[in-house]
Amino acid sequence: MTEKANESRRNFLYLAAGGLGGVAAAATIVPFIGSMLPAADTLAASKTEYDVTTVAAGQLVVILWQGKPVFITNRTPELLKEVDGHDDMLKDKDSKAIPEVSQPWMNDPDRVKYRSIKPEYLVVSAICTHLGCIPGYKPTAGRKDWGDSVPADWPGGWHCPCHGSKYDISGRVINGSPAPFNLHALPYKYTSDTTVLIG
Amino acid sequence: MKLKQLLIAVGALSVVSFSQSAIANEGGVELKHAVIDVTSQEQIRRGLTVFTDVCMGCHSATFVTYKGLIDYPEIGLTREAVDELRGDYALTEGMRTDLSAEDAKGSYGKVPPDLSVIAYARKGGADYIYSVLTGFEHDPKGIIPDGNFNEYFPGHRIAMPDPMGWLDHDKEDTAQIEQDSQDVAAFLAFIADPHQNQRRAIGCWVLGFLLLLTLVLWRLKVEVWKDVKH
Amino acid sequence: MLNSMMKTKIFAWVDRRTDAGAIIKSQLTEYPAPKNLNYMWNFGSLALLVLVLQILTGVFLAMYYKPSAAVSYGQYTVAFDSVERIMRDVNFGWLIRYMHAVGASAFFVVVYMHIGRGLYYGSYKEPRELLWIIGVVILLIMQGAAFFGYLLPWGQMSFWGATVITNLFGALPVIGEYLQQLLRGGFAVGDPTLNRFFSLHYLFPLLLAAIVGGHIHALHVVHSNNPEGIDLTKEEEKIMFHPYYTVKDAFGVGVFLLFYCYFVFFNPHAWGYFIEVDNYVPANALSTPPHIAPVWYLTPWYTILRSFPDKLVGVLAMGGSLAILFALPFLDRSKVRSARYRPVFKQMVILFFIDVIVLGYCGHEPPTPVLKLVGQVATAYYFAFFFLLLIVPKFEKTKPVPEGI
Repeated sequence: MTEKANESRRNFLYLAAGGLGGVAAAATIVPFIGSMLPAADTLAASKTEYDVTTVAAGQLVVILWQGKPVFITNRTPELLKEVDGHDDMLKDKDSKAIPEVSQPWMNDPDRVKYRSIKPEYLVVSAICTHLGCIPGYKPTAGRKDWGDSVPADWPGGWHCPCHGSKYDISGRVINGSPAPFNLHALPYKYTSDTTVLIG
Repeated sequence: MKLKQLLIAVGALSVVSFSQSAIANEGGVELKHAVIDVTSQEQIRRGLTVFTDVCMGCHSATFVTYKGLIDYPEIGLTREAVDELRGDYALTEGMRTDLSAEDAKGSYGKVPPDLSVIAYARKGGADYIYSVLTGFEHDPKGIIPDGNFNEYFPGHRIAMPDPMGWLDHDKEDTAQIEQDSQDVAAFLAFIADPHQNQRRAIGCWVLGFLLLLTLVLWRLKVEVWKDVKH
Repeated sequence: MLNSMMKTKIFAWVDRRTDAGAIIKSQLTEYPAPKNLNYMWNFGSLALLVLVLQILTGVFLAMYYKPSAAVSYGQYTVAFDSVERIMRDVNFGWLIRYMHAVGASAFFVVVYMHIGRGLYYGSYKEPRELLWIIGVVILLIMQGAAFFGYLLPWGQMSFWGATVITNLFGALPVIGEYLQQLLRGGFAVGDPTLNRFFSLHYLFPLLLAAIVGGHIHALHVVHSNNPEGIDLTKEEEKIMFHPYYTVKDAFGVGVFLLFYCYFVFFNPHAWGYFIEVDNYVPANALSTPPHIAPVWYLTPWYTILRSFPDKLVGVLAMGGSLAILFALPFLDRSKVRSARYRPVFKQMVILFFIDVIVLGYCGHEPPTPVLKLVGQVATAYYFAFFFLLLIVPKFEKTKPVPEGI
C-alpha cells in the first residue's frame, strides 16, 4: 500500500521542478543567441587602418570599413574653397540634425564646415542617407564637367545616381534632395601623421 | 536481474579497457609526465617565449592570432608587447613562421606541422610534446644518426632537429631544458582550446545546477508515484 | 499545470480549430501505459531529447561551418578553419560544437540501450513488428547521418573514414564503381564529396524527425510492451502517461544531462572515443594515419566487415548484419516475449550484448591475429544468434508467464 499523497508537498515539487527547468531552458538559450552575435574575429576586423596620403590630390578612394563603403577624399585648396558660399542651400550646415552626422572632434568651430580632423582629408560614410546607394563623385563646381545631371548652381560634391540626392564637398545634403541627412561622420583618429584608424 | 545485467556490462567494459591499456603500453615507450597548469599565466607566458624564440623558427600556430595573445586572460600580454612580437604582421593575423614550406622541405625533408591544435592531435597531448622535446638520445642500436633519433617519436626517426639542445647537454642545464619544454607544452595545451578554462568553470556551475534539478525531479517522481499501487 | 493551461480561452480557441484537447487526452493525460515499466523504458524519451539537441546545435553550427576543401594555409582547408573558428572566435561556439560532438555519441549510447531493451523484453514481437522495423530504419539513418557528419571537420579520420566506407560500395559487382563515383562526386573523396555530405548531413536528421514521428505513432497504436512481456487486460494494470511517465522521464532526463554535461564540459574528447586524436590533423590525401578505425558506435559493424578475407563477402556480411534486424520479428516465433520467462533466450541475448561489445572492441583496435580470430568468433555468434532463434522455440521450456502485473 502507498502512503497518503501529500498535496502541498507535491505542488511545491511541481513548482520547484518547473521553475528550475525554466531556468535551465533560459540558460540554454543564452549561448545559442550569443553565438549569432558577431564573432571575435569579426569584431577584431571592426577597425580599419588607412594611409590617407595614398589618395592623390583631388581624388577619391572608396574603402570598406565593417563591410560598408567609406569615402576618403584628398581635397585640394581649390576644393576646400567650395565648402563655403552655399550655406543657404544646405539642409543641415552644422551637422546637428542627428547624432550620426557628427563626431566629438567636430565641436571645434573650425572643423564643422570641413567635417574632418585635417581639412584636406575627408573621411565620411559613402552610404546615401536616402536608400543606401553610393553617390557619384562630382567634385568641381558648376556644370562644365557634369552637364545636366547637376543644377546650374552646383557647388561641387556628390550626386547619388539612384534618386538624385546631392551632397556638397563636405558631404552635407543639399536642399531638394530626397536624402534626409548629411553623409554620416565616422569615428576615426590619426594614429600617425598619415594613418587614420577608423572605428 | 537488472543489476546482474549491469554487472556483466561493467565487467566486460573493465576487461576491455584493461586489455587496452596493456596494449597501449606495449607499442611505444611510456611518455614522461609533463607538469603543466593551463590556468597559470606565468607558465603559459614562459611557454609563449619558448614558442616564439625556438619553435616559430620553423612552426606556425596559425589559429592563434596576435590579438588573442592580448585577449585571452591566460596570456594577457599588453598591446606594446604584442606589437614588438608581431613586427609587420597584422594584429588579426595568426602566428606564422617566416620559414617557407619549400625551404623547410629542402632543409628537413618535410614541412613542419602547424602547432595550433598539436596538443589534441597527438596521443598524450602535453606529455607527448614534453617527452619528444626531451627525447633526443643516441640510438642504442646505432642505426639512426644522432639528432634524428628520438625515444618517444613513433618509429624513433624524427625529422625535427633537437630544438632544445637536449642531446649531449651539460648536466647543469637539465633542469632548465626540462622546465622550458614543459612550459612550451603548457602553452600548446592551452592554445589547442583557448576557452578550456572558461569551459571547466561554467561546467562546475552547470553540473551543480543539474544535480539540484535532478534531485528535485527525483523527489517529484517519488511523490507522484505514491498514487500507484504495486 | 497542464490542466489549468487547458482551461484557458486561448486554448479553447485553438482546440475548436485543431482538436488539440482530444490529442493531448489521447496521447498524454489519458494515454494508458503499463504501470510496471522499469528505467530501461526511459531511453525512448531520451533519444527524442538528443535528436532535438542535435538538430538545434547543428542548425547553429551550420551558420558558421563552411563545407569547402579549398586550401587556406599549409595543410589547412576552409572547412577545417571554419571549425576552428567556431571553437575560438564564435561566441560559445566551443560549447555548441562540443554539445554536437558529444551528442552524436550520446545519441548512440541512448539508442543502443533502447534497442537492447527491446531485444531483451521481446518488444519486437507481435503486434509490434512494424514498430521495430521503423526503429531499425531510424538506426540506419542515424548511422548515415553520423557518418556524413564525421567528414565535415575534414581531418585525417574524416577523410580516410569516408575513403574506406565509400570503397565498400566499390566492392559490389558491376555497379560498384559507378556507385562509388556517385557517392564521391569524383574519383576520390574530395571537395564535391564534402559538399554533398554536408547537404545529406542536413537532410538526414529531417528524415529522422519525420520517421521518429511515425515510430511514436506506431507505438501509440500498439502500446508499450512491459518487462513481463504480457498483454494487459485489466484497467488497474495501467496508469496514465501524464503525470506518471512524464515525471519519470523528466527524472531520467536529469540523470542523462548530468552525464552529458560532464562530457561536454570536462571531457569532450572522451579519451579519443568521441573525437579522435587524428581528426585534429588536417586531411591529407597523401598519407593514411597508422591506425584508422571508425568512431566507437560503428566499430561492431566494422569488425564484421574485417572478419571476412573476401572484400565482397565482408561488405555483404556487414550489410546483412544490419538487414537481419529487419527480419528479427519473423525469425523468433516464440509466443513468450520477455526474456524473464525464456531461460535459453535469456542466456543467448545476454551473450549477444557481450558479443556486440566484443565486436566493438575488436573494431576499435589494430587488427592483431588474436583479435582477428576473436572478431571472427564474435561475428559468427552475431549471426548465429538470429538463426538459432528459428529453432530455439522448438525445444525451449518457457517458464509460466504471470496472469497480470
